[in-house]
Amino acid sequence: MQYSMKPTLNGYAAVKATLFGIALAAVSSTATAMMPSGDLVIEAGRIITQAGDDITDGVIVIRDGRIEAVGPAGEVEKPWGMNVVGGPEFTAYPGFVEAHTSGALDRANESVDVAPFLNIRDSIDPVSFFFENVRRNGITTLGVHQGNNCVIGARGMVVRPMGRTVEELMIRGEFGLKLSAAPKSGKSRATQAQALRTAFDDLRTYLNETVGDKRHEGDKAGREALYQGRELDEEESKGRAMGGTAWKVDGLEVIPRGELDVKQRPLLQLVEGRMAAFIYCGAPMDVHLALEVARDNGFLHRTTLVLDNSCWKAADIIAEAGVTVVLDSNMTHTELDPYTGKEIETDVPKVFADRGVRFALSSSNSSDQSLWYQAALATGLGLDRAAALDAVTIVPAEILGLGDRVGSLEVGFDGNVVLSNGDPLSTTTWIETVVLEGETVYNRSTDGRNKHLYEGQSKPAGSKSGSMGHSAAGNRR
Amino acid sequence: MIMNAALLVSAASFASAAEDDGTSWVVLADQVYTADGQVFEGGFVAVADGKITGVGMGGGSGGSELDVFAVTPGMIDLGARLVNDPDALEQSTETAITMRVAPALDLFDNAWDRELRSGVTTVLASAPDNNVIGGLSIAIKTGGAATLEARTLKADAALRGSFGTQPSQGNSGSSGVPQSFYVRRPTTRMGVEWEFRKAFYDTIAAARFKEREFEGSTVLQSVLDGDLPLSVQAWATQDIRTAIFLKEEFKIPNMFVDAAAEAWIEPELLVRSGIGVVLPPFSFAGRVGRERAFFAWNTAKMLSDLGVPFALSGHGALQATDRLAYQPALAMRGGLSLEAALEAVTITPARMIGIDDRVGSIEVGKDADLVLWSGPPFQPTSRVVGVMLDGHLILDPRETNE
Repeated sequence: MQYSMKPTLNGYAAVKATLFGIALAAVSSTATAMMPSGDLVIEAGRIITQAGDDITDGVIVIRDGRIEAVGPAGEVEKPWGMNVVGGPEFTAYPGFVEAHTSGALDRANESVDVAPFLNIRDSIDPVSFFFENVRRNGITTLGVHQGNNCVIGARGMVVRPMGRTVEELMIRGEFGLKLSAAPKSGKSRATQAQALRTAFDDLRTYLNETVGDKRHEGDKAGREALYQGRELDEEESKGRAMGGTAWKVDGLEVIPRGELDVKQRPLLQLVEGRMAAFIYCGAPMDVHLALEVARDNGFLHRTTLVLDNSCWKAADIIAEAGVTVVLDSNMTHTELDPYTGKEIETDVPKVFADRGVRFALSSSNSSDQSLWYQAALATGLGLDRAAALDAVTIVPAEILGLGDRVGSLEVGFDGNVVLSNGDPLSTTTWIETVVLEGETVYNRSTDGRNKHLYEGQSKPAGSKSGSMGHSAAGNRR
Repeated sequence: MIMNAALLVSAASFASAAEDDGTSWVVLADQVYTADGQVFEGGFVAVADGKITGVGMGGGSGGSELDVFAVTPGMIDLGARLVNDPDALEQSTETAITMRVAPALDLFDNAWDRELRSGVTTVLASAPDNNVIGGLSIAIKTGGAATLEARTLKADAALRGSFGTQPSQGNSGSSGVPQSFYVRRPTTRMGVEWEFRKAFYDTIAAARFKEREFEGSTVLQSVLDGDLPLSVQAWATQDIRTAIFLKEEFKIPNMFVDAAAEAWIEPELLVRSGIGVVLPPFSFAGRVGRERAFFAWNTAKMLSDLGVPFALSGHGALQATDRLAYQPALAMRGGLSLEAALEAVTITPARMIGIDDRVGSIEVGKDADLVLWSGPPFQPTSRVVGVMLDGHLILDPRETNE
């Protein structure tokens, strides 16, 4: 496998390298047991493309992991010799996309308050049951991020739920930095706000000092890079004027980017608009801080808010700011009326839909109540069916910067297709097959754990119910 | 009989909770599910003075009209958890046979409203399950005038018992062993069973020898006679077995296990013993409850196929989408038919505690307890948009539908 990414690559180069890596993976993986072929023809009685009207009796052709053709059976030529799955009894739709989860992580939080030098790749457990559950539930793309208990957390990544190593899982490394506007445990809201603002003040001070130091022929940054054992090549060895719109430090071009402190560089990428931000808000009041920090430092346009369900109260402000959001899996917010003592329940998805906010649903780290169920529940809670489906496909794909690759079934998109025995939002529907980049990665017929969930385990051979009973009835012959 | 005259409120004396406002309704629906075997496509339910006065195809007349997608009877939850206050646990005895849960009910608790607005109109309220025998449960409406008298359907609707780890938990004393006479017993599963069996043996003795009579022997005698249903909590298969073997040993005619997640493991025992089942809320992860019992998706379907009477329960879930209204959907995911799922939240639980003359189906003369749905009942994409209790519109579909 050719994943040549280094953690020191900057975000842009990392994306390029990763895309390259995937293209290679799709070809070279034919040699591995996991991905026997990226070519597949899928037939379905109904295809929900999420890109225009549904197709009746349709065909999807996937070549080298990408969709080569999708359309009615009469209009799409099935390439000779390709494997065919599905049939008229199946409904096909795009694999679901989870914009924000910490589910795959070995311990989701870090004790250090400001830790952007960490990379979530070091915490992802590729063989965890989480990924198996994710496949069972038809999720084919996930944004994995540090937990909410942080000030500034690790750099996240976008993964596919199949692979023996983190490299095989990886779709996009270093995607998104996790921040929290809600207090990290042990902090007050004021301390949290101050810590968050200070992190960016510190960045500015650091950059100014570093530039000043370089100009006065000291080389603090160079010594530090040397000390940390970082090698500078290509982009790393070049200086570049500071980008971004909010604030700038003049003369940054004199510092090779590779010499900058590992703690500060992800923050600089944020300020330059070269890194997405995922900011957790645990209460409506946190939204103001999140938007302030994002605005003051020029990354509002790359910000997604990860919201507690109480944050519907800040929906107007979120709509004004134009940011995307990820909703909590508990989509009904409950609070006590302080005067009457009665419970007030608010169905959150509709509040955001009515204000035109782009939102993704989430299963909040629990792969059990998965995205199809969240979308079904959201529909029951007053959301349009189309909006509910978008919120588990197209919108999270956009949030993960993959709007042109996943979330709908279109020519050129990844061949991520779910085949089920009925409508995706019906309670009686079961996902039968999941295709990931042209490879079948899940089959219900061979899913022993699902069988166990469905009908329990079979009794040990020879056991006889009641024979161990201690009552007269149990011993009746 | 064991009914205490002071607490036993006859049905007639309060059935008219709604009659004072004289409200009449005609509910028009694409689908009327009566839960007595009929479905009317394009039907109606007529309501007057808190009672159902008509049901059938087409439209009725003589009341304010409500137009919704579907109507089902108000739902009934035999496993509702409405008494969670630790103070409601009686610690003076582990077999609190004659105690009634009714005085522990706080009718102003939000839990009632939570149940009612999500479509549960009747519950069996029981004491917390920390005693082997917790006392007498009450069948009670979830709304109406905030008095026990106004809401009670059946004062002594069932006797509650509990197996498994809960009744023995916390009884071992601070050092981990029962170091004094004053520490509560039992401390083990076998101790729980022993307490249970002792109570019933004592009852049998009391029937023979007058001097052996004790407080509670008449209550237990009515259980043995089949006049009073016995409801016991048993999550895991070992506890379900205990319940079944005790039912058979003492020939208890009318008994059901609540929270019986592992009922699927030995279904033939359920059939043989004639015991009823109340299932706990489903879980996508399989394991549920304090015993981490494994609850297979197709349990409800299996019970239905075998003819075992069973009901579904929301167990007082806090989160809206975990409540009883969502349980039939999950049972259907395991293969249960819509018809059987409907019965499991309406007429079957009503029959299990003998209140089916008043509630559990849409029939002329029964209480006007109705749930109004935005779409096909029990699909997660549908929701409860209206609730009527004794003819009072608690949740108005004209407001929730927008």
